[in-house]
Amino acid sequence: VEYKDYYKTLGVERTAPAKEIKAAYRKLVRKYHPDVSKHKDADEKTKEINEAYDVLGDAEKRAAYDELGPGFQQGQEFRPPPDWGAQHGFGGVNAEDLFADLFADLGRRGQAGRAGARRTFQMPGDDIHAAISIDLHDAYTGTTRAVVLRVPEPDAHGRPQMREKTLSVNIPKGVTPGQQLRLAGQGHPGMGGGPPGDLYLEIQFNPDPRYRVEGVNVYQNVPVTPWEAALGANIAVQTPSGQVEVTVPPNSQAGRKLRLKGRGIPARTPGDLYLILEVVLPPADTERARELYAQMARELAFNPRQT
Amino acid sequence: MMQANQPISGVLLDEVALSLDELAHAVDVGPDWVVRHVQMGVLGFDASVQVTTWRFGSRDLDRARRLLRIERDFEANADVAALVIDLGDEIRRLRTRMRALGVE
Repeated sequence: VEYKDYYKTLGVERTAPAKEIKAAYRKLVRKYHPDVSKHKDADEKTKEINEAYDVLGDAEKRAAYDELGPGFQQGQEFRPPPDWGAQHGFGGVNAEDLFADLFADLGRRGQAGRAGARRTFQMPGDDIHAAISIDLHDAYTGTTRAVVLRVPEPDAHGRPQMREKTLSVNIPKGVTPGQQLRLAGQGHPGMGGGPPGDLYLEIQFNPDPRYRVEGVNVYQNVPVTPWEAALGANIAVQTPSGQVEVTVPPNSQAGRKLRLKGRGIPARTPGDLYLILEVVLPPADTERARELYAQMARELAFNPRQT
Repeated sequence: MMQANQPISGVLLDEVALSLDELAHAVDVGPDWVVRHVQMGVLGFDASVQVTTWRFGSRDLDRARRLLRIERDFEANADVAALVIDLGDEIRRLRTRMRALGVE
């Protein structure tokens, strides 16, 4: 496991008061907010900032983190000392795990411990939120994807340890970007016999240079020749749902949208596929081609800058 | 131990929606937080008058998580947080629209 310098992530001194840490965190969260940031790695940065603040913004976790001492460098190979964290109720942490996991569970267990002093404590497990990326084609057919989660599992002494769990998940046909798939009982385990939480997977689409997706509708550029656009034609187009024969109406201009009803994402209410015509000119790189262009110039008397 | 090879199936939110308590649990807040935000008009656009029949979809879950983050990160007033995520949604909608039309 690699040591992470959370103070460096937030750009504050180790001695910074809580107020200063909060201010630094807020400034960075605004700077890297995915909706406004132009940084390419805004998502990654946001994750790092949140991870650092999850620890340093919590007095108890910060104390445990500080106990590791200032002797470590960012990225240095790191193993927690055997007695580390005992007073914070860690113990038995698996050193193979991600650095953040060392702290992840502290809040929950503190809560359970305090309540447990009064009576047998029962609590449903937390839900897990994760995202999964699929190709547009998968949304047309459905697919199965492996999801790797890090979840706490009680060891022989009932203490939670972070374990990697691989789930094979059926992604149904007809999903759209941003939709949530709920997997009952696949979240964190419950405490004291409480039911486990659920897993929520947000569906994301891998970018595809051929297609753009807006909700259930799909957009696709289709290159056509000038004569196909001008005279009309039946052309074969490779769409996400397979090859289709499309009629290009005569006198079509570049940018014309042809709507293929029901050929968008096959959701409960299926979307449409929009083909956007892109007129591609043949190069005038032979004598014959230049001759044909010259003939059009003479005989068509066409000036697009004149209304 | 979890069987890695046995594919499991879930339900798509929007086909099967969340109840008030389920949404609250998913976001890790009390049901009162959800109720307050539905009454404000930030969540549950299709929510009916009867609290017990309230149902929430993907969009509500996403918005609720972002709302909470803004409220907690900045100790923001709920109305300001609502405005922030409304603006965020509008930016996302416009970006998707632009991409769909081939304008990057």
